[in-house]
Parts: sequence; structure tokens; C-alpha cells
Amino acid sequence: MITWNRAYRGAHLSLSQRRWLSKLTLERLATRPVQSYISTSNNPYLNLSLEHYLLQKSSPESTILLLYVNRPSIIIGRNQNPWLEVNLSLLSPAPRAATNSEPELAGSFLGAVDLVRRRSGGGTVFHDEGNVNWTVICSSKTFTRDKHAEMVTRALRSLGVERARVNERHDIVLDQGERGGDVVDGADMHVTPFTRQNAASRPLKVSGSAYKLTRQRALHHGTCLLSSPNLNVIPHYLHSPSKPFMSARGVESVSSPVGNILLENEEFMGAVQKQFAVMYSESRATELQEVGLEWLENETVGKGYDELNSLDWTYLQTPQFNVSNAADALASTDVQFTVRNGTITAGVLRSRNNSAFSQLGEDSVGTRLHEIAAWSTALPRMFTGVDRAECDKLATWLESVLPPSHKTAGHS
Amino acid sequence: MSAAIAGSGGALAKVLQRPAQGLARCSHQQYLRLRAQRPAHARGLTAGTRALQKKYTEDHEWIDTSNPESAAIGISSYAAKALGDVVYVELPTIGTSVSKGDAIGAVESVKSASDIMTPVSGEILEVNSVLEDTPGTINKSPEGEGWLARIKVENVSELEGLMDEGAYKAFTEEVAEK
Repeated sequence: MITWNRAYRGAHLSLSQRRWLSKLTLERLATRPVQSYISTSNNPYLNLSLEHYLLQKSSPESTILLLYVNRPSIIIGRNQNPWLEVNLSLLSPAPRAATNSEPELAGSFLGAVDLVRRRSGGGTVFHDEGNVNWTVICSSKTFTRDKHAEMVTRALRSLGVERARVNERHDIVLDQGERGGDVVDGADMHVTPFTRQNAASRPLKVSGSAYKLTRQRALHHGTCLLSSPNLNVIPHYLHSPSKPFMSARGVESVSSPVGNILLENEEFMGAVQKQFAVMYSESRATELQEVGLEWLENETVGKGYDELNSLDWTYLQTPQFNVSNAADALASTDVQFTVRNGTITAGVLRSRNNSAFSQLGEDSVGTRLHEIAAWSTALPRMFTGVDRAECDKLATWLESVLPPSHKTAGHS
Repeated sequence: MSAAIAGSGGALAKVLQRPAQGLARCSHQQYLRLRAQRPAHARGLTAGTRALQKKYTEDHEWIDTSNPESAAIGISSYAAKALGDVVYVELPTIGTSVSKGDAIGAVESVKSASDIMTPVSGEILEVNSVLEDTPGTINKSPEGEGWLARIKVENVSELEGLMDEGAYKAFTEEVAEK
């Protein structure tokens, strides 16, 4: 039985004692052949940095499990576009007044939601206290994309979740509908008694996977929706108003209907830990080592944490994209930007009524999109000789499509 | 790249053909294949050829050794097949100095971000911008149009430790069997 609410262990030690303990313990732990960890922190930047540290520093043949739960946060894939995937204006801690179009948001105000770009591939996910994240790091020689998704599915089935299976995208889904007539192999994690070729209702996704592959090591991490209280508001966070106005390189998310499995976090974590031990530990029982904020004192963890937390990594890693209001029938002036490495490299305003146009000023080339505080002041600086009224209209449109920085919080 | 290869589950083992054990008892086709695996000078090719002379690493990268001042590098067909459909390529910055084995970029396929290592030390001179618009070129022509970058080889002796085409082919068969 794993107890969750332990006091922060390092608190009574002096800073220098903690540092010494930290360094020695980490290096020793990272050499063991089988390692299981649980994070005491709900800071997504820390948890992803712990993962990355373990990927970089653990011995090449070791196998590692890490379990963690994050506070409300949106995690985008390494090669994704935050403006395209996320409704950035919802991330700020300032309370939002409910509008007629979004009545669900009233009363279920989440407060500040972090925005994190992870180092693995794949799409965008929403993390909160009802979602448990699991990571397995192993040698590249023995890695397959399904191996540990199957392990987690075995854990779910051991808790009575017989509808769970691994699908062709390496996600874990719950088959819906009635039990079928055919006998099914209980050891096959890719089919359940409820699986049908042309099912009346689509299976519900409960876990998504992503991977990071280096020379010798493979990291597979995934979510598991157990009891998120936010299922009805998550679609608002993950739907961006700028989608019709952007064409982007990079990776787009694949949307799926999701559902809660309805298990307790501890129950699930215990079952995953047990399946991991069955697969990898000779003694069939390994203790879950606690890790947390105190590991930030390790130089490598600290460096990774700073990088993940930086606005540069979050925004400037964005693959090239174009923004244009061509699809907006009501506009009287066309605006078009090219954004490369998160900075504006080209832009033009063109009247729809006459031949007037204005190119982005030289001084403005290289403006970091995420640093623009207000379009009403930025736009006239970027383009000269443009009618003030037209500028204001465009600025209003840009405020909703590329929300300025004061509206988007999202970093601790 | 090795992690991505292992991840394909060994299916490629069945695809790769094994050469005959001895020349005496093989078909004409097998004889031709064996002959092609012998080193270039034994096959009578002249030294002045401008054809790509590829050498390979154990991480499934290749480098064209015909011009070390500006050598093209990329990933092998074997690697490209194992990766699956490439949806995004992260290329290095021109002018960067790299050491052998450094990660110089990454490729995304099937939700996986896979590091690409440079086979040699040197300076990045050029990157293949075609891959920015059409990352799938890596799958269509990984050892041709899907080249990743050109590098100025700092230390030509590093090239000697790499595998030629025949040795690499044998290596991939060994890997597939594991």
C-alpha cells in the first residue's frame, strides 16, 4: 500500500547536508538495474526534468519506472505549435467572466494552468490531479512501442477494468458497448470481450503515449485518466480560436473522445508498480523510491528544469507557421505574418479595397511573438503609413488569434 | 537511431535476404549479390568516380566520403523503414561545430522524437531545407534526396572506423536476428 501524504523528508536537514545526500543518493540510485520512483511533487516542470535526468544518467541496461501526478497543466509535444493547439488566453490566473458561448467555464475556474513543452513527440494532453502519469525507461535494445502500454493495460485489468486494451496508435482505450459472443484470449492486451469491428460507439481513450529515443535508451511515457474533474472544460483549453487562420509545419494533435476509468490514484499506481516488478524484478517486489523538489539541487536536474521552464524553449521551438486573416470575411485589410523559431520574420498588411499595402518594418523583424504585450501598440510600430482605424481593427482581431503575453501566464 | 530500430519488433529480419553460404552452390542472382558486396577496388571501379561513396555507423547513419570538405550525411534505408512515417525533421544550425556522436537533430515519427547523431566531428555547412516542407522525403529516399546536412569533416581519420556498404548490410542482418 503506497501512502501518498508523507511529509517533505528533506525539510529538517541543513542545505549543505541535503546537497550531499542528494548527490550521493542520485548517482547511486541511477546505477541499479531496476529502479522504481514516485514523485512527491505536482510541479510538471520538475517531473518532466526528473524523467529526463533518469533518461540521460541511468546506466544503459537499467529499467526504470517513474509515477507522477501534475497540477493542472497542458503538455504539448516537442514539435507542436502552442498557438494552434491551445487556447492560450484561458491560461492566465485572472478569473474569466463566463460568456454565452462557454457556460461550462463559469464556476469551474481552474486558476493558472501551466503550459509545458515536453521533449518527446506526439500531441497535446491536459494533466490534472485525476490523471496519473507513468514513465518507463529501458535499453533501446529491448524497446518496443507496445511493451509498456501492455504492462499498464495488465495493471488495469488486474483491477477489474476488463474493457481496457492497447490500440494501433499505442494508446489505451476502453471498448464501449455490449459483450461480444466470441471467446477472447485473456493474455492478449490488444482485444477485449467488447471489441467489435464496427462498434456502435467509438472506444474511449484513457491513456496517450509518447516516446523519446536516444542512442542507447528509450523513454515511453503515458497518461492515465482516472478521475479528472475537468473533462467538460478540457475541450475549451485544447481548442484554439486561431486554427482557421494558421497553416503550420510541425505536428498536429489527433483528437479522441476521452473518459475517466474511475479508479483511485493509489490503487492504479500500486497495480502498475506490481506489474513492473513482475516483469523486471527478480524478487518480485521493489520499493517505490520517493523523489521530489530536493532533486533540483542536482546540477543536471536543475539545468533541465530551467530549460523546460524557459519561455524560449516553450515558444521559440515552434516549427514555422503562417498567420493570415484571409478566412475572415469581415476584415477590410489583409494581415499576414510568417513566424519562424517563434519570431516574426515577415509580415504584410494589404487593403482589400484599394492597392495600399505596408511591409513589416526592418526593426520589427525578429520580434518574439510571445513577448508582444499588446497588439494595439505593437502593430503601428511594425507597419508604417497605415490608417489608425484599420490598425485598431486588426489589433482587436490579433488579440484573439495571437493572445498577447499579459493574457497568457503558464510558467512557474 | 538504434532505439527506433529495435522498436520495429524484428519484422525486418524476415525481409532481409541472407546471401548463400558458398559461391559454388548458389544461383546467378545470389552470385551477383555476393559480388556486389566485395570492396570497390576488387570490382574494378576507378578511383575518380563521382558516385556517392557511403560509409555507415552502428547507429544507422551514413556519410558520403567522396568529398570530406563538404560531406553529405543522413540516415540509412534500414533506419528510415524502422522509424515509420517521418512527420517532422529538426535540422542543425549552419555553422555549428559538432563532435562525433553529438545529437545534431531529431526526427519525429509515430509520436517518437528520435535523436540523430553525427558520424564525424566537424562544422555544419548546409542543411537540406526540402525536409522542412516535405519531411516524408526521408522515407522516400533516405540515402538520396533525404540527406540531412553537409558537414566539413574535421578529422578524416574518423572515416576509417566506419563500415562500408557490405559490412553495414551484414551488421543490419545481425541486428535483425537479435
